[in-house]
Amino acid sequence: MEATEKQISESEGFEIIQKMINTVKSEIDNSSFYNLLWGWLVFIASLGEYILIRVDYAWHYITWILMPVGAVVTVIYSAKRKREKKARTYLDDLMKYVLIAFLVCLCIVLFFQGKLQLNTYPMVMMVYGIWLFISGGTIQFKPLMIGGIVNWILAIVAFFLPFDQQLLILALAVLLGYIIPSYQFRKKMERHV
Amino acid sequence: MFKELDPLLHSQLRLAVVSLLVSVKEAEFSFLREKTGATAGNLSVQLNKLSDAGYISIAKSFRDNYPLTTCKVTDKGVKAFETYVEDIKSYLKK
Repeated sequence: MEATEKQISESEGFEIIQKMINTVKSEIDNSSFYNLLWGWLVFIASLGEYILIRVDYAWHYITWILMPVGAVVTVIYSAKRKREKKARTYLDDLMKYVLIAFLVCLCIVLFFQGKLQLNTYPMVMMVYGIWLFISGGTIQFKPLMIGGIVNWILAIVAFFLPFDQQLLILALAVLLGYIIPSYQFRKKMERHV
Repeated sequence: MFKELDPLLHSQLRLAVVSLLVSVKEAEFSFLREKTGATAGNLSVQLNKLSDAGYISIAKSFRDNYPLTTCKVTDKGVKAFETYVEDIKSYLKK
């Protein structure tokens, strides 16, 4: 743009508004990093625990050690992203609040797993479903919304299953709810660049 | 009878800045410069004009010992932008 105060026509004014609003659309976070990171971690942990149970390994829950690792990576990555991000959109804020609500619910469910017992993983999938459905709807990406619905359906199925099979269902839920939609989203964003 | 367009917004760079700020919650100076393609000097002048009119608010802080300027559109700015869009629509309909 010119360094001076350039006079514009009415139609040029309209074009500027359109152009600037379209520019902001490209600011949507297209990394899918968090979904893929957590998707793969939960997938490996749940499938790993299932395998360890099958081979009668006493410390079968050891696979969940991956969760603190994921938390550390998330904190480092999000600090880096925050520095790089030069604008904060309304969508960023909405996604942040949805994520906070999801994490609070997830912590409550995991904290009370002693009381919930066999209902823990179905509850986790229900909470995942809410997050995926709202996130998908907000960024208008249907596969993520479908992923949310799949999580709800699998949660219902898991209520009727024993613990070891629930682990398989959880692995399937993250595969269909997070991992596949996240790769689809990444592909979609790459096409738009 | 056409309304007179807000002279503060009916300028290439100021309109671009307000359009961007209406779309995002807040933006850094470097973001506005990158998206508008304006020079730092010109952008700075136009931001001050918008700020003096109460259309935007400018916050100055530091990050890693470097000055950081963050801009936000005000309610008055949003209202002026909406009025501008309505006025411009009536021109384009003619």
